Amino acid sequence: MSVIAPKFRFSEFLKSITDNLFWIIILVTLIGLPVIMIVLLFVDLPVYQGELINPFLAFSWMFHPELSLPLIKSFMITDFFRIAVFPGFGFAVLLATSVIFIERKMLAKLQLRVGPFYCGKIEGILQLMADGIKLVTKEIIIPAKADKPIFILSPLMFVGAAAAFVALIPVAPGWVVADIDLGLIAVFAVIGFFPIITVLASWSANSKYPFIGGIRALFQMVSFEIPLILSLLGVVILTGTLNLSEIVASQASFPWIIFLPVGAIVFFIAMLAELERIPFDLPEAESEIVAGWLTEFSGMMYGLVQLGSYIKLYAFAALFVVIFLGGWNGPMIFPPLEEELILEGKTIGPITIQTPGLPIFSMEFFSGVFWFILKTAAVIFFILLPRGVFPRVRIDLLLDLGWFKLIGLTFLNIFIALALLYAGVFGPGGML
Amino acid sequence: MADAAFLALSVITIGSAIAALELRSLVYGAIGLMGTLGGVAGFFLLLDSPFVALFQIAVYVGSIAVLILFTVMLVKRELIFKKIEDPKRKWAGIGLMLIFMVAIGAVILDSGLKSVTTDEPPVDFREIGDDFLTYYWPALILMALILAGSVTGALVLARREDEISGPRTD
Repeated sequence: MSVIAPKFRFSEFLKSITDNLFWIIILVTLIGLPVIMIVLLFVDLPVYQGELINPFLAFSWMFHPELSLPLIKSFMITDFFRIAVFPGFGFAVLLATSVIFIERKMLAKLQLRVGPFYCGKIEGILQLMADGIKLVTKEIIIPAKADKPIFILSPLMFVGAAAAFVALIPVAPGWVVADIDLGLIAVFAVIGFFPIITVLASWSANSKYPFIGGIRALFQMVSFEIPLILSLLGVVILTGTLNLSEIVASQASFPWIIFLPVGAIVFFIAMLAELERIPFDLPEAESEIVAGWLTEFSGMMYGLVQLGSYIKLYAFAALFVVIFLGGWNGPMIFPPLEEELILEGKTIGPITIQTPGLPIFSMEFFSGVFWFILKTAAVIFFILLPRGVFPRVRIDLLLDLGWFKLIGLTFLNIFIALALLYAGVFGPGGML
Repeated sequence: MADAAFLALSVITIGSAIAALELRSLVYGAIGLMGTLGGVAGFFLLLDSPFVALFQIAVYVGSIAVLILFTVMLVKRELIFKKIEDPKRKWAGIGLMLIFMVAIGAVILDSGLKSVTTDEPPVDFREIGDDFLTYYWPALILMALILAGSVTGALVLARREDEISGPRTD
C-alpha cells in the first residue's frame, strides 16, 4: 500500500472518475456551450466560399473536424493569434518554460548530479509542472512596510516588458507580431524598461537585500546597454535597415557572424550581463545577498518574475539569431508537398486520400521555424553553459569589462563594418 | 480617433507632470516624470515621427529617468528636500506659467500653423540620414565630436585611481 493514497479502492477511483465526467458534461452543456455561442455572436466571422458565416453555422461547424478548418484558418490570420499564440506570448512561454527544465537538467549533468528526477517517470519531466503548481498555490506575502502598488505591479510589468520584446522578433517569413520599420530602435526602447522595473521593484520591497541587488542590477544593465546597442550598429551599417525581418532577409546566403564576429561576441557578453546570468549574476547573487532583488517576492509573484526573465532570455537569444545567425534561413529540410496531393488527393491502391484545405502551413514555414528554433536553442545552450563552469565576477571587474573593453571592441566592430562598406564588399554595387 | 488619443495623451502628460511636481514621495515624482516623457513620446507618434518617439522612449524614459531615479534613491532625502511651504511662491509660479503659455499660444496661433497638412506619410528615417550626410553635415560632425568626447570623458572619469583591477596576486 502506497503512502500517497493509503485508503485506495478501485471502486472509489471509478466513482471519482464518473463523478468528474458527470460534472464536466453538466458544466459544459449549461455554461460552456452558451458562452461559446454568446462569444460567437460578437465576433467578426470570416467569409467562406462567397458567403458570410453566421454564428449558428459557425457553431455547428466548430464540432465537425473537416468543416472547422476554414474557421481555424481564419483564426490563424487574426492579430489575436499572433499576439497570444504563435510568434508571440504562447510560443515564447512554451520555449521559456522548457528552458527552465533543460537548464536544471543540463547543469546537473555538468556537475555530475542527477537533477530533477522523481516527478514523472522519465527523468523528472513533470518537475516543472509541480513547481508551477507549488508557486500558484503558495501564499503571496507582501512585506509590511513595502510600497504596495509598485511592489504588486512590478512583476506584471516585468512580464509585460518581456512580452513586448518577444513581439518584435520575427520567427518565420511574415510571422512577427509587430513588423515595424524601426524594429531595432524599438528593441532598444524596450530593453531600457528593464532596469527601471528592476530598481522600482527592489526599492518598493523596503528591505536591504533587494535594494542592494537592485542597485547592482541598475549599474550592470545601464552600463552594458551601451555596448549592447553599439555592437548591433555594424549590422545596421551593412544592411542599411532597422527592420528585423529585412535584416534576416539580407542573410539569405551568409550570416553576419562571418563578417562581424567581434560584434557578435560583444553582443553575446553584453547579453549575458543584461540577462543577469552567471558570470554576471551579481544582482541576484544567492551566496551574498539572499536572492538579490527577488528576495521579497513570494508565490506567484516570484513565478512571474522568473517567467519574465526566461522569456527575456528567449527573446535575447532570438535577437542574436535574427541579427547574427540568419534567423529562419537554412536549407529546406522538409520537401514541398505535391500539387496533386493538395488539389485532388492521392490514390494509393484502393484508397484515395483527400485533404481538402489541409496544408495549413506551407513547408517553407516549417523549415523556417525549424531552423529558427534550432539556432535559438543553440544560443540558449551557450547562454546556459557558463552557469555550470564559471564563478561570479567582482563588480569592479564587471564594470571595467563593460566600460573599457567592450565599448572599445564595439568601435572596432563598427570600423570593420565601415571598412567592408568602403572597400566595396557590401552596399550598393558591392561584390556580395 | 486621433482626437481621443490626443486627449488621453494630454491628460497623461499634464497629469503626470503635475504629479511629478507636487508629490511628496520623490520616487513617485520620478515615476510621474517618466509618465510625462512617455506621453511626449506618444505625441511624437501622433505626429507621424516614430523614429523620434522611439528615441524619446529609449533615451529619456530609459536613461534620463533612470538616472534621476538612481540619484533620488542614493541621496538622503533630507539633504535635497527641505520643506519650504510658501503659498505666494506657488501662486507666482502658476501665474508665470499661465503668462508664458498664453504668450507661446498667441505666437503659435499667429504663425499660421493652422494650415499644416495632416495626411502626409511619416518621415522616413533614411531621409533624415540623407539630410544629415549632405546638407547638415557640420551639425553631424559637431554631434559626433561631442558624443565621442563625452564617451571618452566617461571612460576617463570611470577609471579608478588605485589601479588594482585584475585578479589578486597575494
